[in-house]
Amino acid sequence: MTATAIVNSLAVLLILTSLLVVESRRLKVSAYFYSLQSLVLISIFLSLAVINEAEQLYLWSITSLITKVFLVPFILLRAVKATGIVEEEPPLVGTTWSVILAALMVGLAFILVQPFHMLAVLDYKTALAVSLAHFLLGLHCMITRINALKQLLGFCLMENGSHLTLAIMAYNVPELAEIGILTDAVFAVLIMSLIAVKLYKAFGTMDASQLKMLKG
Amino acid sequence: MDYGKLILVGLLQAALIMLAAPLLDGISRRLRARIHSRRGGSIFQTYYDLFKLLKREETVPPQASWVFAATPYILVATLLLLAMIIPSITLMSPLGLVGDLFAVIYLMALVRFFFSLSGLDSGSTFAAAGSSREMMLAVLIEPAMVVVLLTLALLAGSTNLGSISVQVASGQISFLHPAFIIGLLAFLIATAVETGKLPFDLAEAEQELQEGPLTEYSGRGMALMKLALLMKQVIVVALFLALFLPFGGAVDITSGSLILGSIIFLGKLLVFYTLVALIENAVARYRITDVTVITSLSFGIALISFVFYLALS
Repeated sequence: MTATAIVNSLAVLLILTSLLVVESRRLKVSAYFYSLQSLVLISIFLSLAVINEAEQLYLWSITSLITKVFLVPFILLRAVKATGIVEEEPPLVGTTWSVILAALMVGLAFILVQPFHMLAVLDYKTALAVSLAHFLLGLHCMITRINALKQLLGFCLMENGSHLTLAIMAYNVPELAEIGILTDAVFAVLIMSLIAVKLYKAFGTMDASQLKMLKG
Repeated sequence: MDYGKLILVGLLQAALIMLAAPLLDGISRRLRARIHSRRGGSIFQTYYDLFKLLKREETVPPQASWVFAATPYILVATLLLLAMIIPSITLMSPLGLVGDLFAVIYLMALVRFFFSLSGLDSGSTFAAAGSSREMMLAVLIEPAMVVVLLTLALLAGSTNLGSISVQVASGQISFLHPAFIIGLLAFLIATAVETGKLPFDLAEAEQELQEGPLTEYSGRGMALMKLALLMKQVIVVALFLALFLPFGGAVDITSGSLILGSIIFLGKLLVFYTLVALIENAVARYRITDVTVITSLSFGIALISFVFYLALS
């Protein structure tokens, strides 16, 4: 009982850190918060591994410690350094409405997980709703922020959300599949940050809305 | 329930908070000096300052009305009442009949109202700027506080502070309840803004606004206003502790448990002030426009806490 409560409350911390990732205007700070959030995610994996006695999850936590806590923020920080852009452009939606939307998303996520009655997820309904809300928050970040790197961070948030869903619903997936999913994400981030840097070199800005200008 | 005894406990709390506020300020000043690699004054320096101000002559700006003269007394009296209401050394509210969340919110609003009114009344430009900032901060942070308090009241099924404290301390409201954890964080931000310590030291910013609404005060009025500000900091922290970390408060009214409760309360305050002192020396003051980001974040977190309450009840 208390163990599931710990997982659920850690999941709640995940929502808070993702709010910080979305709302902090400085790109470096956002990347650090993302790293922190991945740490929270890993602690959820570890507690799930202990509760469900799933050895696969231990290996998964180690892989995600390397990729999510160190590698992805490192790539992002390098991209920030390469461009020298400290602060993102003003987003389409201001902080006030953004956080209210976030609250609505959490509510929506809870409504969406209501029909789930699988025995495996019954205890982790909060965590499941949080993972869904996390996915929505990432989407929100990708849509409403103009900065390319910030949109990339939104993608990372969505990914963390889907990882949590996977960890809750299918903790017995073979290691190889899980590690494959994780490394896949690293390459996605690597390629996208390269594109962001190219964007900066071509247009002198990381404003993704500038992409519509044709340039020979 | 023995109301006579409880009122005595309330008086004890008020005296404790009034006497401890300058000491805590002295300690945080000493800490600040240490962080700056200075030796720093005595930890009782704030008491000396207040006594010195009490002896000084008082001047009143010619255009000021009675509000200017009455405000220091109104503030100190209201804050003493608040100190009696908020359960700090006990778990139940010493003034059980008025120990209500809404009473506390309105009394705090009263303090803020008179504080900024006195600044406007003094006719000084600096004071008026400080007053307008104070009101702006109130508008920004109050929604978050109210939403958190509402969520907590719904969780506890009562708006009585004492009843909430008892339920949190006894584990009836689980510490791991998502709405509780998130509410704690939102209220922590609100507490930081309300105490007016450095990153949010906007209304009484010494360097830019000459202490804001306090600009025209001198002598006894100044001493009381300073005391009121110090007490307000302690009371806001005490409210946070009473709602979210009430552990260690006295369950029954015996002298032994009361003394233990007071020591634990002072210990918690000391920890809080030490942390605040560390933060204060590591950050610069926010601009008032930047504060809106922090407060709306706090409001959003409070709303999420409410959503979690709705989803899990």
